[in-house]
Amino acid sequence: MNCKKTLVLLAFSLFCVLFFLQCSVMEESAGIFGKVSKIVTSEKDTIKAVRSGFGDISEEEEYYIGRAVAAIILSMYPAYQNDDLTRYVNSVGMAVVYHSDRPETFAGYHFLVLDTEEVNALSAPSGFIFISKGLLKRCRDEEMLGCILAHEVAHVQEKHGLQAIKNARLVDAFTLIGEKAIEKYGPEELAKLTDVFEDALGDIAGKLIERGYDRKYEYEADRLSIEIAARTGYDPKGLIDFLETMRQDSSQGEEKGWFKTHPSAGDRIERAQKEISSLSLIPEKASARTARYEKAVQRLR
Amino acid sequence: MRKPSLLRGIFILFFLLVSILIAKSLVVKIRVTHLRAEPQFYAQSLAVLKAGETVEQLETKEGWIKVKSSQGITGWVHSSAVKPKGLALLASADSLKTDASADEVALAGKGFNKQVEGEYKARNPNISFAMVDKMLRLEISPSSIKTFLAKGKLGEFGREK
Repeated sequence: MNCKKTLVLLAFSLFCVLFFLQCSVMEESAGIFGKVSKIVTSEKDTIKAVRSGFGDISEEEEYYIGRAVAAIILSMYPAYQNDDLTRYVNSVGMAVVYHSDRPETFAGYHFLVLDTEEVNALSAPSGFIFISKGLLKRCRDEEMLGCILAHEVAHVQEKHGLQAIKNARLVDAFTLIGEKAIEKYGPEELAKLTDVFEDALGDIAGKLIERGYDRKYEYEADRLSIEIAARTGYDPKGLIDFLETMRQDSSQGEEKGWFKTHPSAGDRIERAQKEISSLSLIPEKASARTARYEKAVQRLR
Repeated sequence: MRKPSLLRGIFILFFLLVSILIAKSLVVKIRVTHLRAEPQFYAQSLAVLKAGETVEQLETKEGWIKVKSSQGITGWVHSSAVKPKGLALLASADSLKTDASADEVALAGKGFNKQVEGEYKARNPNISFAMVDKMLRLEISPSSIKTFLAKGKLGEFGREK
């Protein structure tokens, strides 16, 4: 009798564990991937996926958005043709990426120099990062370049670009995308989805290129770039050097590129200095890095 | 003497079942990643893992997860390359497994995809993707980044005193 009772108790416990696991799994899906709730109603292709915000955009979708934003940027600025310099910028960029919290994206991070004297750096979702020739010329050393790229990587890491997409647009897109697994969209669905895609790109490009990110995102990217740069081994004061350069330029009446879109350099310097002073260990500059930086940018001077 | 050993057997079976169910399945969410011998990008690659492949989580360490692949190879993946598999955690139920994979197929290829990009290109012939594709072709290998870090005294090489 006792044994029977134990068996019944065990069976009941097992049922409870299974029930708990199922609930926790569903909660986990919601917690990590935004508000995705999945309701299984029958055996095949009937999972209902309700997506509602930027956090619900898949890695692959983010990649296609990032590609198109990058294409828009490249339709405005040509690429600077210098393979050695491109390779060097990518190496600095990847050194920083390896020490970020999101080192892997759908197709990885890629860096490119834009052939413009404008002083600017931009990042498109999924890891397409651009730095202008004008800004590279203003960099003093690898520390400064590393900090600028870390700032852009932080924007990608925190998905600031995707957050520029109006939520109502995403809801439209998710409604259109629907519930069933479809291999290919029909002409009507495709046209509607492309309309939403174009509008979403407009939202991101408007923020990135014309208006600039909201203040809170710039401050967050500054704070994270200090963390990432220090983890990589770069002196995070490279960010202060960069912000000082910006402050000097803006006092001289420069109103192009970065300066017209970003919050005041003075305010950012103050915040960045506080962040740096709170670090337990501040890496120092290394002569080997400065030497290779000088060599890489030689042709720009 | 018979009862306690039977009970012990049942308890062991029960805990085994629970531990199997708790084992966390992860799915690769990026195009390609590597199963690495150590929790470092430039560690030896033991296997290539493609989007949608499932691995089993064994332990975690500073952003890295030790996993076992479906081929039984054990190695490390970065946490940014995987996501929890969701319902397939209840791996004993075949019907649920079918549903989970259908769901992943649905979410993977749906939405803003290659087909939508094609339509966007057709509508905007002035926007060229050629340079974006060229940008994607340049990949610096993890071993080159390791050399770059070492020569510049960066990362773990900067901490060596």
